[in-house]
Amino acid sequence: MADVQLIILFTSMALVVIGLYAAIFVDNIIKKIIGISFIEEGANLFIVAIGYKPGGVVPILMPGMDTSWFATNAAYPLPFGLVLTSIVIGASTLAVMLALVMVLYRRYGTLSTKVMLADTSKQEEYNE
Amino acid sequence: MNELIPLMVIVPLMAALVISAFSRFNTLTKALAFIVALCLPIIPLASNYGLHYFGGYEPILDNVTNVMYHPAITYSFTFLQQIFIAGVGLLTFLVVFIYLTKYRKVSGPYLFLLFLGTAAVTAMILTDDIFHMFVFFEILALAQVGIVAASSIDYSYEMALKYMILGSIGSPMMLLGIGFLLALTGSVNVTDIVAAVHNGLVNVKSPVFLLSLGLIFFGWLYASGLPPFHTIKSGIYSKAEPHGAALLQSFTVISMISIVLIMFRIYSTLPIFEVLIVFFSILAMILGVSLALTQTDFRRMIGFLAVGELGFIGLGIGLGTQFAITAGLFQALNEIIITALLFIGFGAIVNATDEVDTRKLGGLLAQHPKVSIMLLIGGLAMAGVPPLSGFQSKLMLVQASLSCGYPELSILAIMVSIATFVVFVKTYYTMFLKPKPKELELEGKEVPRSMIIVMGVLLVIIILLGVFPDVVTNGISNFVGGIL
Amino acid sequence: MKLYDQIFDVVKQFKKLFSPGPVTNADVSGSITAEIFLIVSLVLAAILLRHVNVLLAGLVTLILAVVLIANIPLIPKFKIEQEDSLEKMLFYAIITLAIIVTFMYWGGNFV
Repeated sequence: MADVQLIILFTSMALVVIGLYAAIFVDNIIKKIIGISFIEEGANLFIVAIGYKPGGVVPILMPGMDTSWFATNAAYPLPFGLVLTSIVIGASTLAVMLALVMVLYRRYGTLSTKVMLADTSKQEEYNE
Repeated sequence: MNELIPLMVIVPLMAALVISAFSRFNTLTKALAFIVALCLPIIPLASNYGLHYFGGYEPILDNVTNVMYHPAITYSFTFLQQIFIAGVGLLTFLVVFIYLTKYRKVSGPYLFLLFLGTAAVTAMILTDDIFHMFVFFEILALAQVGIVAASSIDYSYEMALKYMILGSIGSPMMLLGIGFLLALTGSVNVTDIVAAVHNGLVNVKSPVFLLSLGLIFFGWLYASGLPPFHTIKSGIYSKAEPHGAALLQSFTVISMISIVLIMFRIYSTLPIFEVLIVFFSILAMILGVSLALTQTDFRRMIGFLAVGELGFIGLGIGLGTQFAITAGLFQALNEIIITALLFIGFGAIVNATDEVDTRKLGGLLAQHPKVSIMLLIGGLAMAGVPPLSGFQSKLMLVQASLSCGYPELSILAIMVSIATFVVFVKTYYTMFLKPKPKELELEGKEVPRSMIIVMGVLLVIIILLGVFPDVVTNGISNFVGGIL
Repeated sequence: MKLYDQIFDVVKQFKKLFSPGPVTNADVSGSITAEIFLIVSLVLAAILLRHVNVLLAGLVTLILAVVLIANIPLIPKFKIEQEDSLEKMLFYAIITLAIIVTFMYWGGNFV
């Protein structure tokens, strides 16, 4: 069996790189935001992968468990807690971004970044 | 009483929630906002120094390795935190005061954003936990975006969205960096990480450790608005309401120093860390000031100047000696107050004239003598003219770079100060001294009195810090001696 | 003679920079100050390389000075590169990220 952790790490790096690619080269703002949220997910996946332990158990101490067995076999719980927080933050950021896009789409009638988020001095031409 | 330490974060956070929940009742909202804002500078001044462990989890001593572990999120409160939290609390109070007196009907969500931002920066500077800092860093970004989007200036939504999209690249990178540190040390507590690094548990030459520095550093660049983020930072300052911009720049400065102090504690053994900081600080000073010279919108100009001044803080920290870091942190405190004065003062002019283009303004000295005199003193303080506070910190920085053996940096710092002075004099001349253009109509609009009072208060602080810098620098110097 | 003409052409170029709208003395002189400040400060910053290698510092300073002076006016070019359109800002942010990460990963130990 291939090393699960390594595969996850490669996936997370691929997500980050795809996100950075989308941030530069994609013009549609919604697609760009989807791409950018890939970066966030890549970072989260990376942190989850840190806590992985081959053959590990869920880090909850149940009654009757041997503590020393638990200590050697439980997965590292801290990364999961951190990722949970980070996902919530990412979701709220995404919501605010999409809300702003909605307002701007009503004003400009297009989703093109080149028009919607151009230089401030040029925006006066687009927005008559 | 160490119970007051978490209250510094909890009070503004709770106030933010309660105010936005009861925003239908106008008088109640106003009274509550005023009282809470008044408490903000008082709590840190009344509190004792010490540590606070959330959940009461005291540090655990590992008997085998003889290392202390910190299981709880820890807040450490010393003189540095006290002075900066009191500073930003005072500024929040003044900004809320301006806002409450300016509008008859106040907006609960806007006050929510102001208090949320204050709570976030307070937590960032207090915390000893790198992930906790990241969480509040994200909350701060949301609050900043909200403050910008809430303003009535044209194209503020666009600027807010741009800031947010850039932030969505900057902050995951920081999270990745924190992830690398977590993978290397198994902890997110800064004291534990520092202990692991100093005890040799982490190979400081490993590329992963260096990469974590690079990624956290990139997040820091975004938080502090150093290049390549100087354009967006000056952009959001220029699109926020003037009192909002005054608060935004203080958020930027405090998040900058709180992240850089954590980075300094972890990475100061690497020589490249100081090189990186000095490089980007020099870039910020050069680009910020030279772009400020070519702006015609004076809010944008102050924004670029504020970014350029951030370079001085970075310079002090990048030099890395006790004296230099003290100078950098003192410069940070001065910058918070001076830039706030300038934003509020120029905002008062926007209020009175509805015009932001310097080419269309002129002859305002006769109309608004009080504002113009106070702005002049603020501008002189920013450029570093004695006996004002900017002079003291810049002199310390120049001395520090000389004593570290970098006379080029001293010359550069002096040149940037002179160029700052040129920017200010040019703008001041075109706005206040040049004859009034015929098209400019001033139909007797007055500057709100609250703005003048606030400017007066800030001016008094600037002069006091300029005459008695020792009050602050001794304490900061002790703090810096502790982390070196 | 060519450089002389180029220096005097600078003011005309600055006029374009501020159009549309009137161009005042203060704006043009501010831009010229910015131009000189930019050249001098970049050259001065290049001298810092002497802590790495004196010969390198001399070479870089001379080349930088010649390149910068031969390319005046710099400020219009600088301003176009630092406008606040999202494309340009994202591009520079990601380029900086790439440079920092590459430099740190492979070259962080050589400083």
